[in-house]
Amino acid sequence: MKIVEGLKYSKDHEWVKVEGNLATIGITDFAQHSLGDIVYIELPEIGDTIGKDETFGVVESVKAASDVYLPVSGTIVKINEALVDEPELVNADAFENWMVCVEMDNLAELDELMDATAYETICND
Amino acid sequence: MGALKRTLFYDNHVQAGATLVDFGGWEMPIQYPAGIVDEHIHTRIKSGIFDVSHMGRFIVSGREATAFLQYVLTNNVLALDLLQAQYTMIQNCHGGALDDAYLYRFYEDEFLLVVNAANAEKDWNHLNTEIKFFDAKIVDRSAEIAMISLQGPDSKTVLKKLTGSENLTEPLKNALGILDYQGAPLLIARTGYTGEPLGFELFAKASQAPEIWEKLLELGAMAIGLGARDTLRLEGGLPLYGHELGLDNDGNEIPIFSCPLAKFAVSFAEVKGDYIGRAALAKQYLGFKKIMERNLSDLSELPRIVRPIAITGRGIARAGCKVFKAGKEVGVITSATMVPYLKAEGYGLDSKITDEKAMRAIGLALIDGDVELNDQVDVEIRGKMVAAVIAPYHMKSDAPPFARPIIYGVEIERQFDSAPDYQTKALNLLERSYDNTILRQHQTINLIPSEQSHSAAVRLLSVMDPSFRYAEHKKTKSFYDYDVFYYQGTAFIDEIEYLMMEEMKKYFNCAEVETRVISGQMANVAVFSALMDYKNRVNRKVDAKRLGYVMNNHIIKGGHLSAQPMGALHDYIAIDPITEKTAVVNFPVEKDNPFKIDVAETKKVIAQYQPELIIFGKSMVLHKEPVREIRSFVDDQKLGSIIMYDMAHVLGLVGDHFQDPFAEGAELVTGSTHKTFFGTQRGIIAGNYDKDDYKYGLWETIETRAFPGSVSNHHLGTMLGLLMATYEMNYFKDEYQKNVIHNAKYFAKCLADAGLDVAGDPAISYTETHQVVVRVGYGSGPEVANRLEANNIIINYQATPEEEGFTASGAIRIGVAEMTRFGFGDKEFAETAGLMADVILRNKDAKEEVTKLRGNFTKLNYCFDDEAIAAQLEKLKSTL
Repeated sequence: MKIVEGLKYSKDHEWVKVEGNLATIGITDFAQHSLGDIVYIELPEIGDTIGKDETFGVVESVKAASDVYLPVSGTIVKINEALVDEPELVNADAFENWMVCVEMDNLAELDELMDATAYETICND
Repeated sequence: MGALKRTLFYDNHVQAGATLVDFGGWEMPIQYPAGIVDEHIHTRIKSGIFDVSHMGRFIVSGREATAFLQYVLTNNVLALDLLQAQYTMIQNCHGGALDDAYLYRFYEDEFLLVVNAANAEKDWNHLNTEIKFFDAKIVDRSAEIAMISLQGPDSKTVLKKLTGSENLTEPLKNALGILDYQGAPLLIARTGYTGEPLGFELFAKASQAPEIWEKLLELGAMAIGLGARDTLRLEGGLPLYGHELGLDNDGNEIPIFSCPLAKFAVSFAEVKGDYIGRAALAKQYLGFKKIMERNLSDLSELPRIVRPIAITGRGIARAGCKVFKAGKEVGVITSATMVPYLKAEGYGLDSKITDEKAMRAIGLALIDGDVELNDQVDVEIRGKMVAAVIAPYHMKSDAPPFARPIIYGVEIERQFDSAPDYQTKALNLLERSYDNTILRQHQTINLIPSEQSHSAAVRLLSVMDPSFRYAEHKKTKSFYDYDVFYYQGTAFIDEIEYLMMEEMKKYFNCAEVETRVISGQMANVAVFSALMDYKNRVNRKVDAKRLGYVMNNHIIKGGHLSAQPMGALHDYIAIDPITEKTAVVNFPVEKDNPFKIDVAETKKVIAQYQPELIIFGKSMVLHKEPVREIRSFVDDQKLGSIIMYDMAHVLGLVGDHFQDPFAEGAELVTGSTHKTFFGTQRGIIAGNYDKDDYKYGLWETIETRAFPGSVSNHHLGTMLGLLMATYEMNYFKDEYQKNVIHNAKYFAKCLADAGLDVAGDPAISYTETHQVVVRVGYGSGPEVANRLEANNIIINYQATPEEEGFTASGAIRIGVAEMTRFGFGDKEFAETAGLMADVILRNKDAKEEVTKLRGNFTKLNYCFDDEAIAAQLEKLKSTL
């Protein structure tokens, strides 16, 4: 299982890459592995305002549909449309294939997220 | 995960890196590292193995085992022959399913019942409660017998390699076999839960099971988890207990008849007597019938049925999603997900499955009975309405060895270039016809055993007047059976028909012939119709009884389509009320030669079933039929069975060199007149009943079922041609028949010498007819046939007795009659065998050599061609 240093992680297995007040968000390798073959991804609209820990999309595998939660509140400024046609890209590389980019409302929320080491611990539990 | 049970394959799964989950109290693999998508695809194009040992395996035996099973199961156990399996329900008294199950009969005196893992304990308790009232016993053998499912197009090859056994089971769904695996019996069944046309379930000795699992992997099968097991069964449209059976989303019981397989799994045969839930099921059946007949005024007996649903919008439906039609809630999704498939290119037999993966969202839904096929509906997915459609099916398995995904809305388009104006269309048609004739008459080696070129005289006569005329005639008792014609202008054809009947009687050496039927198939229809009419002659005030039993050659063993219930027998064959199947039994064949009837076994079957009608004759025919032996047996036993020989293929071989059907004891001969006979394309019925025979009434019925029963006008042109062909046959038959049979034997030897795998018995030079059968590899028949055609050699692809159907054909069928007529002898057949081997084995281009060889043999023999004949033909041609 791959974990990338320098990213923030949520307990719901999302990763966050911070650049200024922009956060790029995807699901972790651990998440894609547990889901299995991802066959459908539903993303929000650009401009949607979404609160912390609210659903911003759905990732579906053959087995089940799973909601994905926004680890930080904000406004959606970019979505990765390539995933709509090729959801299996997330299985191929979960860190390369981000899902949304958010303009954050409150940078302090980042403090509640984990670093790579802490995230690795909960994955191994 | 406290006390989860583990199957014998637990270590195999762990070693393979499987993701294990709790499934009905068992620790089972949901998927292996390959993942659900690849596991699904691998099963569809190669083969997959499934650990199904978590299922319950109960053995039922004892004096009243059958009676017990008839009482606790919905299907008819008396329909289950030895070495067959059947799908069935374990029902409650309300007509709901406690479980669905499979019943296997490997041995005469015991039944194996396989039930779902999650229901095994419930089933066990229920069955033990009920069995107390019967002199029967039930034993749980789940621990002693391991169970592996092996599914997919390669499964047969894999299983042959595993067991070293060439013969597995009959090539039919639900057929069973008992093989040997290292000294222990390995029970195999052609059953499964994937919808695959080829698939087996293996019942192995527990101690051997883990090793067998690993060997199957080594042989190319992929381990498949429960995830792909679910997508495979969903694509196949197969129900899952807890989804399409049992309780619905609201906790209400789903009626068994809501499940599409109920019509195969539920029997109302009288022999089943009263059984659990019979009355409730009978009521559901009435509702099911109403839905099927679109009688929708009152659907209270069965409000909803399970139907396939294809999601056409974006999204994936899941079990529990509601289904709406025009805003009204009409049902609920019972199972659904996204399933993978491989795209195909091309059409029909030429279509190729590519490597390109795609996904589609499909499901099954419990839907109101008045929602129809192709109805547009919406599925509510996370609050959004997503477009969907009620589909007929998601997949078809009728072109083995592959199951093919059926994508909703795909339509096949065919287009041929055609000129814009009618003058050019007409001219093009003439040009194309000329080219086709040159190709087939001068450039192509025609080896289709059911075809024959006709002489110039036969061809010309077929288009002369009276080919545009009408004639109908009937024997009239008032005129001492003199034929009365209903049209004027029929004196010429009256004479022709009279002469033809005399020639045909001479050819067959029989008492009567009926020449008006215009095809072999029609000849059989007229005979079957007459036999049924004759059977019911004493009382015509009630519905006529159909024929039963009838004995024939099974189509897989080469039997004629025209002697099968799906062919000409269709409207005339009875259903046996005990087995609820058509009242047909097949000739047993010899164990080591499936092309030959086993006479000793046949006698036993005849004694058991006492058939009303015995039909000899085959389309894949290498041997003489044992007419004499069976006639003497039938007479000794005083059975009264009518013996008929459908000689379609071998009609031109009647006589000393092959068989003399009437001398050997046949009463009726039917056939088409254009295979080994010299044309034209018509049919014939011959009978050996003298006017003072008590069965002469049957012959008269045959005549009336020919006219007016089957034809009114009987195509007078080809009748004229057939008279000439019959003159040719009666004059040239000795030499022609001798040469045809010699050439077939010689050709078979040359093909074998050239390295091809010739089927049949080498001790008789492989064949006693005009046919040769060559094995070219399982499923390769159609491709080899195409390749030969590209090289101007035309043969048929042919399924051998071991193969599942025409698309899985592993052989080609060859006939020498036509090329014998064009003058091919030893030298030419030897050369043809070499060229065929070049094309088949070495993929060589032989078109030029084939065309050259054929070009030297364009003159048809065994016909009248002296100067006077030639002059008269020119005179006839000038009238065109």
